Amino acid sequence: MPIERVTTLCFAASYAVAMIFELVHQYRPRPIMRLFSTIAGGAGLFAHSVFLLVQRPGLSTQFGSLLLLAWIVAVFYWFGSLHRSRSSWSLFALPLVLGLVLLAVVWTPMGTATTIPVVQNWEQFWGILHGSLLLLAGVGICVGFMASVMYLVQAQRLKVKTPPGKGIPLLSLERLEVMNRRALNLAFPLLTAGVLVGAILMLQEGVLERGWLDAKVIGSLVLWGVFVLLLYLRYGAHLPGKRLAILTIVAFALLLITLVSPSTHFAP
Amino acid sequence: MMLLVVGTSFNKMDVSLRERLSFNEASLPRALDEINARYDCETVILSTCNRVELYVGRSTVDSGGWPLSEAETGARLFAEFLAEFHNLPLVEIEPYLYSHHDAEAVRHLFRVVSSLDSLVVGEGQIAGQVKRAYELAVERACVGPLLHALFQHARTVGGRVRSETGIAQGHVSISSLAVDYACQVFDRFDDKTVLVIGAGKMGALTLRHLRSLQPRRILVTNRSYAKAEEVAKECGGKPLPWDQLDEALVQADIVLSTTGAREPIVDRARYANVLPKRNGRAIVILDIAVPRDFDPAIHDGDRTCLFNIDDLKRIRERTLADRRQHIAAAEHIVEQEKIRFLKEWNRRKNGAIITRLTEDVTSKRLAILDRLRRQLDDEISPEAWQRIEAALRLFQNQILHGPISALAENAREHGSHDHYLLDALRKLFRLQD
Repeated sequence: MPIERVTTLCFAASYAVAMIFELVHQYRPRPIMRLFSTIAGGAGLFAHSVFLLVQRPGLSTQFGSLLLLAWIVAVFYWFGSLHRSRSSWSLFALPLVLGLVLLAVVWTPMGTATTIPVVQNWEQFWGILHGSLLLLAGVGICVGFMASVMYLVQAQRLKVKTPPGKGIPLLSLERLEVMNRRALNLAFPLLTAGVLVGAILMLQEGVLERGWLDAKVIGSLVLWGVFVLLLYLRYGAHLPGKRLAILTIVAFALLLITLVSPSTHFAP
Repeated sequence: MMLLVVGTSFNKMDVSLRERLSFNEASLPRALDEINARYDCETVILSTCNRVELYVGRSTVDSGGWPLSEAETGARLFAEFLAEFHNLPLVEIEPYLYSHHDAEAVRHLFRVVSSLDSLVVGEGQIAGQVKRAYELAVERACVGPLLHALFQHARTVGGRVRSETGIAQGHVSISSLAVDYACQVFDRFDDKTVLVIGAGKMGALTLRHLRSLQPRRILVTNRSYAKAEEVAKECGGKPLPWDQLDEALVQADIVLSTTGAREPIVDRARYANVLPKRNGRAIVILDIAVPRDFDPAIHDGDRTCLFNIDDLKRIRERTLADRRQHIAAAEHIVEQEKIRFLKEWNRRKNGAIITRLTEDVTSKRLAILDRLRRQLDDEISPEAWQRIEAALRLFQNQILHGPISALAENAREHGSHDHYLLDALRKLFRLQD
C-alpha cells in the first residue's frame, strides 16, 4: 500500500485492535495476547507516524494538534507497554490515544489541510515554538492524567480493601504520585513559556487587546491558572493525593477544551 | 512404562506419624541409593512437611527386578521399604499410605506440582520442592529416561497452571498480605520508616517480612521501655519512649501495631492531631493486635491505609475462595497434560521398536537383494533391477504397515498399560534389545 494512502482509520483501527487484545489479556492472561497487543499497537504507531510525516497536519489546527498529541502519547504507551509489561499501563494509555485520535477525526479539515510550514522567518519560528511548547506541556498533562486515573483506581481499591493481586495490576500509589508530580513539574514551565511566547507574538502582531478574547488564549490562561493552583496545593497546602489527582483530571479536561476551541482571532 | 507412586500426605496421615516417615537431608540420599541398589529402578523421593512420596519407575517392562506389573505387589514392596527404612512397623503406616500407577501416577504428580493437592491450594512452595527432589535424584544418578521426562513435563504443567489460571493469585499468609498492601502504597522502602508499637509475638513474623523490604529505619515503642529496647535490639531498630508515640506516628510510613491494650491506643481524635503534621504523606498501618489498637474510622485508602487482623483474615479467605474457583480449570489442564505426556511417552517407546523393526527388515531386504545380484548379475538389465528393488521396498512397507498401525492403535486404546503387543512383536520378529 502506498504510504500516501495511510489514513486515520488505519492507525485508529490498529490501536483499537491492540486495546481488544489488552482487554482479552486482562480477562484471560496469556503472554501471546500481550504480544499481539504490542504488535497491533506498534503497527498503529508506525501508521500514525507515516500519516504525520506524509500529511504534515498543521500544529495550529485542532486536527493537527490533537493528532500530534495522540502520537506522543502513543509513543509513551508503546514504550511503557514494552518496559512495564506487568502493569496495566496500556489499558489506561490506549483509550487516551484512541480518544485523542477520534477527537481529531471530528475536526478533520475539509478541503486542503494546513500543513506544517517550512520556517522562513522569525515570526514563523516563534509561532512554531509557541505551538510546540504548548503541545509538550499537553503531553505532560496527558501523562499526569493517566497517572491520576490509575491513582484513583488504586486508592479506591485500597479504600475497599480489595485483595492484593486481584483485578488489573497497577503501580503503587507512591509511584503514580511521583509520575503525576514529574509530569506536571515538567509541563508547568513548558506551559508558562508557551503562554509567554504567545503573548509576545500577539504583541508583535498588534492583536494584544482583542487577542485575549480568543477562546484558545482564554483556555490556555485558565489552564495555566489551574496549574498554579495545583502546584500550590501540592507543595504549599500538602493536599492528599486523591484530590490532586482529581484536579489533574480537571486540568486535562481543560486542555482538551483548549485544543478543540476554535481560534477566532488567529488564522491557522 | 511402569510408574508407581507410594506415599502419604497431610490429609491421610497425622503429622506425628508423618514426621517419623519423612526424610531429612542426610537420610534422603541414602534412601535413594538404597532403592536404586535394591530394585534397580528410577527413583525420586519427595519429602516435605506435608507429604512423603516415592516415585519409582522403569522405561521398559522387560528389564526384570521387582514385579511392578503387579501394581499392588509393587506398592507393598515400597511400603515395606518405607517402614523398614524408618524402623516403623508396616501395620502402623500401611493404612495411611496411598499408591498410584502409570497414568494415575502421572496425574498425581501433575496435581501435586500444580498445588492442587496442597494444604493451601495454589501455594507456590511445592513446585520448588518437587524441583529440588528431582535435582537431588539426578545428582545421585537415580533418574532415567522415564522420570527425566515425567519431572520435566511436571515443571511445565505447574507453570501452565499458575500462569493460565488464577489458582496462585494473591498471598494467603497474614504477614505476606500485610507486605503486599504496603507494596501497593509504596514503591521503594529504603527511604521509609517502620514504627513497631508493642512487642506482641503476633507481629514477629510480619516484622521479619517488613525487614526484608530493607526500610531506612525501624522505630520501636512500648509501654515498657525495656521491652522496646529488647525488640529494637532483635530487629536492629531504635527504641523510643511511649510518650513519644505521636511524634513517631508523624515520622512513620509503615506502622506495625501489636500491643495487648484493651482499648484503642490511637482513636480518631488523637490521629486527627497527628495527620496535619505529616504533610500529606501516606501511611500504612498494620494493626494486628486483638483488640485493635487503631480506630478503623481513620482509614481513607489515600493518606491513611489501615489494615487490621480482621481485614487481613477476611482477605485471606477471599483469596482462598477465589483460588478454589480456578480448581476446575487447573484440573482440566492437568488432565490435558497427562494425556499429552502419555501420548508423547508412548510415541517415544513405540518409536524405538518401530526403528528397530524397520532397520531389521531393511537389512534383511538388502541382504536378499545383494545375494540375488551376485547370482543373476549378467542376466538382468539395470532397469529390471530398479523394478525389483522398488517391488521389494513396497513389499517391506506393506508387511510393516500392519504391525506399525497396530502399535499406534494399541497405544491409543490402552495407553501404556498394554505391553503384550510390544512383547509379541519382539518375539515374532526376533528383535534384540
